[in-house]
Amino acid sequence: MRTRVLLIEDDERIRAAMRMALEQEGHHVHDVASGEEALRDFSRQPSDVVLIDLVLPGMDGFEVCRKLRAASDVPIIMVTARTDSHDVVAGLEAGADDYLTKPFVPKELSARIRALLRRIRGDARPPPRFAFGDVEVLPQEGIVRRDGAEVHLTKTEFDLLCELASNQGQVLSREHLLDRIWGYGYFGDGRLVDVHIRRLRTKVEPEPAHPRHVLTVRGMGYKLVP
Amino acid sequence: MKGRTAEEAAPEGRPGRRPRFGLRARVTAAFALGTLALALILSLLTYTLSSTYLVRQRESSAQRQAFVNARLVESGLRSDVPLPDLLDSLETPATSESVLSYQGRWFASSPLNVSHEELPAGLRDRVFSGRAVHQRFRLGGQLYEAVGIPLVHVGAHYFEVFSLAELDGTLNTLSRALVAGAAVTVLLGVGFGRWVSGQALRPLTAVGRAARSISQGRLDTRLDPAIDSDLSALTISFNGMADALEQRIERDARFASDVSHELRSPLTTLATVVELLHDRRTEFAEPMRDAIELLKAEVERFQQMVLDLLEISRLDAGVAQPELEAVRPAELVREAVGASGRGTPDRRVAGGDGMRVGVTVDDTVTDLVIRADKRRLERVVANLVQNAETHGGGLAGISLVRCGDRVRVLVDDAGPGIALAYRDRVFERFARGPDAESRRDGHGVGLGLALVAEHVRLQGGRVWVEDRPGGGARFVVELPVETP
Repeated sequence: MRTRVLLIEDDERIRAAMRMALEQEGHHVHDVASGEEALRDFSRQPSDVVLIDLVLPGMDGFEVCRKLRAASDVPIIMVTARTDSHDVVAGLEAGADDYLTKPFVPKELSARIRALLRRIRGDARPPPRFAFGDVEVLPQEGIVRRDGAEVHLTKTEFDLLCELASNQGQVLSREHLLDRIWGYGYFGDGRLVDVHIRRLRTKVEPEPAHPRHVLTVRGMGYKLVP
Repeated sequence: MKGRTAEEAAPEGRPGRRPRFGLRARVTAAFALGTLALALILSLLTYTLSSTYLVRQRESSAQRQAFVNARLVESGLRSDVPLPDLLDSLETPATSESVLSYQGRWFASSPLNVSHEELPAGLRDRVFSGRAVHQRFRLGGQLYEAVGIPLVHVGAHYFEVFSLAELDGTLNTLSRALVAGAAVTVLLGVGFGRWVSGQALRPLTAVGRAARSISQGRLDTRLDPAIDSDLSALTISFNGMADALEQRIERDARFASDVSHELRSPLTTLATVVELLHDRRTEFAEPMRDAIELLKAEVERFQQMVLDLLEISRLDAGVAQPELEAVRPAELVREAVGASGRGTPDRRVAGGDGMRVGVTVDDTVTDLVIRADKRRLERVVANLVQNAETHGGGLAGISLVRCGDRVRVLVDDAGPGIALAYRDRVFERFARGPDAESRRDGHGVGLGLALVAEHVRLQGGRVWVEDRPGGGARFVVELPVETP
């Protein structure tokens, strides 16, 4: 089945070019020019991946991101203008899974989409069922329960949790996690990991500000302890 | 005092027209002269008034005493008291002497040893002519007051000489005290002048400091409007100037940034479309394929340039602080060199064929951990590698060595090396080589090496270029090693 990509971009020419490039990759593209349109479109027919330009007329990209995230676990890639500003972190905190900086080349775009749609890679399969604290995870079913109640994780958060779980007790560097979850190399943006770990904590930690399970190891990375 | 003021004025002052002394020295001198004049006038006035008063006092008491004594002598002569005894019986203090001319003979009590011959002649003459007179005179350096009274009824002339040595001494002491007082006043005047001029110049010192701060790049430096209400015009215009300057510099800096930002969108479209064409280039005829290849290469170069411009304008804006973390330089350099094509979110490391060149790591560096900004360091290595590929005849090798408390990354190329005179300029923005060759191929160094210099500097390191042993250029990046 072809991947359905929802493309939200107000610049007509970029939209046309990206549409061509994505279709060339074999995706089914639905493109809209505003956030309002995108939300309407998404509620009619959910997409597999959403691409959001952060600068939009009317409702801005962050808002669209938050609204989409509230309604769905769909992978979201945001397109930002600047890498250094807090746009990146703000976008990730609004719920984006990954980001692209303009100007980008189509290869980067398709690499990002592929990485997000891919199932957990490699042979380091997580155990069929694992638990820590009051959280229970069923990786095969894609289910996380806390105190018996199901918790909604995005696919990226879920992958991150499973990657940490399959190496329980071991410190995983940001580079390792970037490579495993996002498919980035050594120079991937560590903020991706940091923000997603933060988001993961708010969902699985009893006290997100004082984590007991998803721990930071200063200067080295992260680890999961039961 | 003078030295400091002169030094401060020196860079701005126009030679020849500059006054010999600084403002502060002149104000101080004016204060000194003013207080000196004032002290002189006051001292003279004090001295004149008090000496006149004291002398009058002394004179009138001398006259009173002389008249009393004259009357005593007169009555004594009438009752035929023997003369020397008469004079001795007079109650005269040790500071006065009685001289009597009687029947053509002179008699004297002698505590002061002033003889009748030493009495001023004019005084004597006038007394002999029948008038009571007094006169001050100096004898042997001593000041005396003489009072002469004709004793008409007995045909005698009574003189009394008073020593004014005591008064003289008092006046001397007074004048010394006044001179000392004047000197102290002048000194106080100098001190006060210095203090006042210091106070007056303080706002100017503040202006100077602010101007220096601005010229050192702290463009948001402003004067406190509360410094002095009298100087608000200066403060307002200075701050106005600083505002204008800051805005202008910011506008200039923002321009490059704005231009690059504006270029992003069309460039994204362009890159996307070119890539589409490139992917399907086999569908085109041969000459078109070449055109597409050329187009793709140029768009990539364009894109690189815009990214570099954005990067350097971020650095200029000073908003990009290095994010230091524990990094193994050996690992990082290997990754950076090998990262070609794999892609980072921002851009790919250029070059592809030269990547087979190995990275030589000194034993002391293998497990070394330094604090560095990974992303920036990657740019540094990538840009140096790209520079070697584009301008240095290809990458000849990369090595890491330890050098005391620093670690060095050496990037060698196989080119002709870089002329001594050009070695600093190579790190300037859009620098071009001295040879026509580098111009002809259209590949200026661009911003790559300027970015290298900025990134290295931000991480507390240095970068320079030297000759590689055996020919070619060697770019050296030196970074501090701290125990993490």
